[in-house]
Amino acid sequence: MMDPKEFDVIILGGGIVGAGTMRDCAMRGLRALLIERADIATGATGRNHGLLHSGARYAVNDPDSAAECIRENEILRRIASHCIDPTDGLFISLPEDDLSYQDTFVSACRASGIRAEIIDPALARRLEPSVNPDLIGAVRVPDASVNPFRLCASNMVDAKLHGGQVRLRTEVTGFLREGDAIRGVRTRNVQTGRETEYRAPVVVNACGVWSGQVARMAGVSVSMSPSKGALLIFADRVNKLVINRCRKPSDADILVPGDAVCIIGTTSTRVPLENCHRVSVTPDEVTLLVTEGAKLAPALSETRILRAFAGVRPLVSDTGDPMGRNISRGVVCLDHETRDGLKGLVTITGGKLTTYRLMAEMATDLVCRKLGVDKPCETAQTPLPGSDGRRYEDVARRIWEAPAPARKTTVSPWDDILVCGCEKVSVQEVNNAVERMGVSSLTDLRRRTRVGMGICQGEQCACRAAGLLAKAQDCAERERADLLKFMGERWKGNYPIGWGDSLGEAEYTQLVYKHVLGL
Amino acid sequence: MRYDTVIIGGGLAGLVAGLSLQQSGRSTAIVSMEQNALPFFSGSFESLTEAPERLSSLLAGAGIRLHYHPGVRLMPLGTFRKATLSLEDVSLLAEPRFAEKALILNVPGYIDFFTAFLAEGLERQGIQCRVSTLDLPVMAEDGLAELSSVHLARILDSKWEWVVRQVRLLLQDEDAVILPQIFGLEDPSIPERIRQGIPARVVFVGTQPPSVPGIRTQLLLKRRFGELGGTYLGEEEVVDARVENGIVRSVHTRGPGGNVLEAAHFILASGSFFSKGLRSNPFRVFEPVFGLDVDASEDRNAWYNDDFASDQPYMQYGVRTDAALHPLVEGRPLQNLFAIGSVLGGTRPEFGSGAGLAVRSAFAAVDEILV
Repeated sequence: MMDPKEFDVIILGGGIVGAGTMRDCAMRGLRALLIERADIATGATGRNHGLLHSGARYAVNDPDSAAECIRENEILRRIASHCIDPTDGLFISLPEDDLSYQDTFVSACRASGIRAEIIDPALARRLEPSVNPDLIGAVRVPDASVNPFRLCASNMVDAKLHGGQVRLRTEVTGFLREGDAIRGVRTRNVQTGRETEYRAPVVVNACGVWSGQVARMAGVSVSMSPSKGALLIFADRVNKLVINRCRKPSDADILVPGDAVCIIGTTSTRVPLENCHRVSVTPDEVTLLVTEGAKLAPALSETRILRAFAGVRPLVSDTGDPMGRNISRGVVCLDHETRDGLKGLVTITGGKLTTYRLMAEMATDLVCRKLGVDKPCETAQTPLPGSDGRRYEDVARRIWEAPAPARKTTVSPWDDILVCGCEKVSVQEVNNAVERMGVSSLTDLRRRTRVGMGICQGEQCACRAAGLLAKAQDCAERERADLLKFMGERWKGNYPIGWGDSLGEAEYTQLVYKHVLGL
Repeated sequence: MRYDTVIIGGGLAGLVAGLSLQQSGRSTAIVSMEQNALPFFSGSFESLTEAPERLSSLLAGAGIRLHYHPGVRLMPLGTFRKATLSLEDVSLLAEPRFAEKALILNVPGYIDFFTAFLAEGLERQGIQCRVSTLDLPVMAEDGLAELSSVHLARILDSKWEWVVRQVRLLLQDEDAVILPQIFGLEDPSIPERIRQGIPARVVFVGTQPPSVPGIRTQLLLKRRFGELGGTYLGEEEVVDARVENGIVRSVHTRGPGGNVLEAAHFILASGSFFSKGLRSNPFRVFEPVFGLDVDASEDRNAWYNDDFASDQPYMQYGVRTDAALHPLVEGRPLQNLFAIGSVLGGTRPEFGSGAGLAVRSAFAAVDEILV
């Protein structure tokens, strides 16, 4: 089949912002192509708390961001209910905190339109039995937990349903230029080495922390200031509500429940650009996270840590925009035509997971202006596949569903057998992901189905999933190497926290894979 | 309660020691948390290569038959590993190219047996492969979410003759048949009877744990230990010990029958980290019952190799002992305590590792006690 090469818009980057922009463009009738160097959600999208901010965290210092967050928070609850666990959140004051900050905090929240309710510490303990019982104050806010992998994939699925196309494992090697205008991109498939040119009158750079490098390829400058955040995943859902500290934002002061685990974070450290793809967590950061985390929920000090991981925030140090009009409260949307005299290139970066849809809308508005399209944005009203039971049910169920057994279609009596007992991933889900979601490795599969992300960290499921992949792709030799790589990647997040039960599990994994299976 | 010997740990080391002592007329109790390495037992005593008379006759008493033949065995992911002394159902092959054509058979819905990897591994040796599935309608239960090796073996123990007929039907011109190790959960003769019934060489290959040969070995050794009059305290954890002047007087257990157990001799066969014979916190590795000296680095950064595929230093850690396997506390041996099996880690390389370490150190401790 011919690879179609002419589009209205090309989006670079398969994170949440790229996926959201592709969806918005496709819904406005544009022929959209998304190009991603690795896989979906490989950058900051897949490496964070999984927190859907209420905006309360920003209310005091950045009221505009706070107002953006609460608006988007409410929108996403409507359009992406299958990705969101509406837990609510607490902002607690501990004896060492200044309780008078609570009043400042609550009035700032209310000014930004965030429902913030001061509750009695005793009620807080009832609502959230894991909370530090010494708390002296608590405020309840509409924080929630969000599954960023599923959110990213749902956006891509919907974009595809609207005619959009995706090329994964394809890197941009250069821009096609005619005079002062970008006309498309040159790409190379990282697996096959095949080079292809794709043409479009507008290209959107949504490459997150790598936006600066991509912009440079086009001859313009975007200065990124990457900031590393370290996080720990605990092997139990200790808390029911998101727990924050009611004080100025600091290290390790957010604990978010997610599926069967909870995540404490984060830290903030500048990292050089060249290290962004291989950040890791230091023993000191582990100590900090555990110590501070236990102040939110003392049970954390008795809970097994599943793994340590780090993400890099795509912060922008300088927009280089003399007018400053494009600096939108953390979100940076650059029209390189007005800024640099380069037509056909837009950069969308900064921002946060919670505001991805708004970022996509801003970028798409700009794209539409350039193309003379005046169709309005509908992403805030239109549910994503999987969240609306009627329109996309079939597609969502087959491609990206919540792992609730009752909602599965049974094709063969064996399809319900679980590959991953921790995350309840069935044979059918794995096979569907391989057939329809462009999976070519266990890491790809993990991002789509959560295989290997649970309590056993791949000990039970990685080999089973590898067996299914080897069969589906008919290449056991490559899959054997992939399995080793996957286990190596799991281990990188496990050894920094390798003591207690985690060390026992690590030893168990070594025995199974090396001694029993002979990997 | 008072015994001649109390053994802490019911894995291979503890059971072999317990059987030997009980057989020699010593009243023995085994206290077990039921979390040991037998569910990973491949069926091969990899580091045991010397003539195995003593072990063979001990296991024969429990109905477990061994065979001895230097060669290789086929691993679950299609590689080969040296093997010499093994349970009878482990096929010891003279060389990796053991056939011209192989028929690899799985049961439907079973994802813990890796046919694609096996086929690739065998084809690399020049063995032509065909992968097929046994038709076993008897197992098509609705809503089946888990199909473990043990679950299958329990079903198949009464249906092995039916499996033989199925294999005969599927077999074409292959000279070897590869089957998962899911036969003979309780009856160790079933794998051999399947072999006899099929007109091609039958090779049983391991699955994802639990290993059926391992579970069977545990079951039969426990049963034999009971028949000989041994006391087996299952699901009990030894939490504490009373030690006076370098002599262990008693150990205290927590569990259904929480007990104080007194004995003339004690054997620590509590395993390594995942069996909780060794424990760790961010600052040190320790032995939880007696507080024994542990051969481990004080710097946590030295416990690991960040490469998964490399040997992991922590897996070598174990309790320090004197030459007679008496473990040390602050450099001084506990006179009537012996450490055996993987709680020794790599501190006694002359005993080998894994199943070999378990058996050799168990016999060494038994010999000390029976002197």
